[in-house]
Amino acid sequence: MLKIRNLDASIGDTQILRGLSLNVNAGEVHAIMGPNGSGKSTLAQVIAGHDDYVVTGGSITFKGEDLVPLAPEARAREGIFLGFQYPVEIPGVNNAYLLKAAVNAKRKHQGLGEIDAFEFLKLAREKMTMLDMDPKFLHRGVNQGFSGGEKKRNEILQMAMLEPELAILDETDSGLDIDALKAVAGGINALRDPARAIILVTHYQRLLDYVEPDHIHVLSEGRIVRSGDKSLAHELEDKGYEWLQDIASAG
Amino acid sequence: MNSQISIQELTRALHRLPGTEQTTERRRALQLFADHGFPGQREEDWKYTDLSSIAKISRTWLSADAEPDGPDLARIHAAMASIDAAWIVFANGSLLRDLSPGLSEPGVSASDAVELDVVAVPNRRDDPLSALNRALSRDGLRLQIKGDNAAARPIGILTLDAAQTAVSSSQVRVDIELAPGSAARFVELHLSTGEHEHYSNCVVNLVANPASSCDYVRIQQRDINHSQTARLNLRLQQDSHVRHAAFDLGGKLTRNDLQVDLVGQGASCVLDGLYFGVPGRHIDNHIRVDHCVGPSTSMQDYRGILTGKCRGVWNGKAVVHKGADGTDATQSNHNLLLSEHAEINAKPELEIYAEDVKCAHGTTVGQLDEQAIYYLRTRGIDESAARRILTGAFAAIIVEKSPIPELLGILNEKVVAELQKIAPGVVS
Repeated sequence: MLKIRNLDASIGDTQILRGLSLNVNAGEVHAIMGPNGSGKSTLAQVIAGHDDYVVTGGSITFKGEDLVPLAPEARAREGIFLGFQYPVEIPGVNNAYLLKAAVNAKRKHQGLGEIDAFEFLKLAREKMTMLDMDPKFLHRGVNQGFSGGEKKRNEILQMAMLEPELAILDETDSGLDIDALKAVAGGINALRDPARAIILVTHYQRLLDYVEPDHIHVLSEGRIVRSGDKSLAHELEDKGYEWLQDIASAG
Repeated sequence: MNSQISIQELTRALHRLPGTEQTTERRRALQLFADHGFPGQREEDWKYTDLSSIAKISRTWLSADAEPDGPDLARIHAAMASIDAAWIVFANGSLLRDLSPGLSEPGVSASDAVELDVVAVPNRRDDPLSALNRALSRDGLRLQIKGDNAAARPIGILTLDAAQTAVSSSQVRVDIELAPGSAARFVELHLSTGEHEHYSNCVVNLVANPASSCDYVRIQQRDINHSQTARLNLRLQQDSHVRHAAFDLGGKLTRNDLQVDLVGQGASCVLDGLYFGVPGRHIDNHIRVDHCVGPSTSMQDYRGILTGKCRGVWNGKAVVHKGADGTDATQSNHNLLLSEHAEINAKPELEIYAEDVKCAHGTTVGQLDEQAIYYLRTRGIDESAARRILTGAFAAIIVEKSPIPELLGILNEKVVAELQKIAPGVVS
């Protein structure tokens, strides 16, 4: 589904990704781990299409199509979703409005009509119950005054409503207490599907206790230095990232 | 300075007034204005606003000796139909009694303010523009809201100025007194038509007696070649409350002065505003709240959206007088500049002479949040739609606080229409 080959990406004059390659197939859950500054969030933003990041080499294809020239909104409509590490507060735009606009943008792209208002509300309430979110959040400004945990649940709510083919969740576990972590993990697990791929970008293995990945990749200095199954997460926890940096500089 | 107009020119205008009501008060006001002329930019409060174009319109109008255009009835009826209110209509400064059901609204007592000084707020009447207004008003109106007024539908004050055949100028003057314990709602709508230049000078005095309350919405949608100065003086007695929202969506040069005197304990006011700057427009809001006693509360919250070569001015001042302990005053002004040619001069001011006061102010000038645009785009929303949504959201913060909730629909409609005009590429 997602094929990344020898990807180089920079922000300004600083190169961050250096020859990164990654293959993600439908039905798989991948975890991208690594120390701060290793390029994890950059990878997430480059896949989503952030203007500040420039692809200087290599390729990214999604369902066989070159992703690089596509605008962020086009990528979203193709089925890519980015869950933000720091979800943006948008006072004056209520959550329901954003959800509906997002759902309808995708439906329009698929040649479908706008979602029925009743059906939309029913669906949103259903997903909110699953995420243990108060329905009143639907009518508040997007992320406005939300706690850290509420913002992350809201990201998962958007993902659940949009049903993306590829979801990239950037540090979705950071700043969550155990209840919120469980609710968010529940939301992610509910979306696991043979037709869908999920990439979890995370610094810690904590989330991986609740969402079991099929593959774990360790990023260091802009490329993947080690891949393995879920046992790699425990190894990392025992030995720390420094161990990997030694491997990276040796290799 | 070209802002002086001779007493001879002004006196000629006085003679043209219907009934030639040359009262002492008018003559005194006339002299006051003649002595001072239009305020000049050397005066601190007028630093950014140049009234020489208005002085020129006034001089042309004074020398032309032209009869004002007749009322544009179709436009008046359309305006009246657009908002459910008990309307009172002024056309080129003349009160159209036959078209003003608001004059006989239950709970309201209307009378001529021939002397034009009945409810004048003390010490707030001698600035040059108020003097000009008092000298040359054709019809003054005094509204008294009775204690048992249930404040059903709002009272509408429609000002429609026409400059179809010649340059013209008009004065509108309304004095409002709320009886103790009464409640009233007002919507003021300013419109204009015509190819020629027009200058309107409007003064509203509102006295809120103890325990009365008032919700007030002012909408200014003049044509782009028409200018106005407007002054609202509010005097709030004990435990009275006023919520005022001002929407400036039109006009060429607009200067609004909002003066609030909180003279009774427990008085409070909420002053909101939204203004749009388009190429060639100058929009100046000056707000001053005097906390004469405490506890008393004032909250100012204005927002502006500016694009193209235009200028916005916002000056929000709170003066907390000696002894006004327990004052709570906030001032906020946020501006969205959608082009590099737009200018805003924003200044909150606080003068505090009392103890135990809570004051806060903040102003911002900025562009749309690029992170928010990106966030919306990652949700599948086009960049242009994202910009439109965020610009609308910026305005919605003020619109949604409308003191008169029934006006939400029409306010939204007007705001969306203006947004479409101010940023065609951005707003779809």
